[in-house]
Amino acid sequence: MTLYMVQRCLFDHLRRLEAAGDGPRPEIVTEGYALTDEEKRAVTEPDIGAIYAMGAHPVIINGFCRALGYKRADYRPLLEQASGDTARRRTPWQKS
Amino acid sequence: MAEIVMAYSASHAPMMTADPGSAPREKADNFFSALEKVRDKAKETGVQAIVMMTGEHFTNFFLDGLPQVAIGLDEEHLGPPEVWLQVPKKMVPSDAGLAAHITASLIEQGQQPALSHGMKVDHGFMTVYYWLDPTMELPMVPVVLNCTTPPLMTTKQFWDFGVAIGNAIRSYDGLERVGLVAGGGLSHFVGEPRVGDIDEEFDRWFLDQLGRGDLSEILSVPNDVLAEAGNGTGEVRAWVALAAAMGSAPGHVLAYEAVYEWINGMGVVLYDGDQPAASQT
Repeated sequence: MTLYMVQRCLFDHLRRLEAAGDGPRPEIVTEGYALTDEEKRAVTEPDIGAIYAMGAHPVIINGFCRALGYKRADYRPLLEQASGDTARRRTPWQKS
Repeated sequence: MAEIVMAYSASHAPMMTADPGSAPREKADNFFSALEKVRDKAKETGVQAIVMMTGEHFTNFFLDGLPQVAIGLDEEHLGPPEVWLQVPKKMVPSDAGLAAHITASLIEQGQQPALSHGMKVDHGFMTVYYWLDPTMELPMVPVVLNCTTPPLMTTKQFWDFGVAIGNAIRSYDGLERVGLVAGGGLSHFVGEPRVGDIDEEFDRWFLDQLGRGDLSEILSVPNDVLAEAGNGTGEVRAWVALAAAMGSAPGHVLAYEAVYEWINGMGVVLYDGDQPAASQT
């Protein structure tokens, strides 16, 4: 429904994981969040590329990937694939 | 009145405490040696409390209410919430009188900090603070800055904020010797396709400006251009504010290493303490 709801769902999940400590890991909860079917699929599957493409905050993506046990090498390709070719802008600090 | 007897900026990559041995030995040693020099400076100056600025990581605030700047006002703050950080969990002492004075003074000077009780101090603070004082007894007033969620304050606005926070500290009569610390940066990319990259050209360009005490170049960089150096790199806003608080004094660049294992440009810049007439209006 809204990007905020996707992010809220992920954020609350991360807080539940934190609270669980070394105990049983809670499953992600989608009830109570106004999510479309595609959004529910993306957060439960999970589909990191789709979550990124929706515009989720990178700090949330970082935390979610870490919670999933992903290494950088695991999720960087997913994000690269989701972003496509993005041209970099010229910056004042670039020498080359 | 208080003097800012020491000030420094340092990167706060979580891996520096969570897994320091993952970095090449020489790079880690260079970075940590700089932090040891800072620790010696703190002992030498007899600093009584520090004020520390760092980026918010959704530890204390979320998208339902995210201030650009917030000040922790309690007598102590719990840190760190990250169990994997390899820093002991502890109620870190603060100086509530100093925190309240800074907040009031900032508002008088036209800034609008949010008031925060129950603030937690996450890796943004604790990685750097733990190296400064492993006993975690030195009072620390925490200040969190929004450095990652647009719309963001510009570097120029954080320069003005830094001038104001410097004035606020120096107008406090409850302590004599205060330290000012900035945590975060240098370049890093988090939760995005370039995760793991480090923009060494940016880091060296920025450190050169700090070393000269002339930040005019970065103060003219728009937010969207600054983001090209990394979506986590915006934490250098804290470094800009600290440089402003120190009145454009040249910083001593003690260390810089691009530590790819920590996905972070790691730097330390130390400033001399207050000189006569350092306070600005």
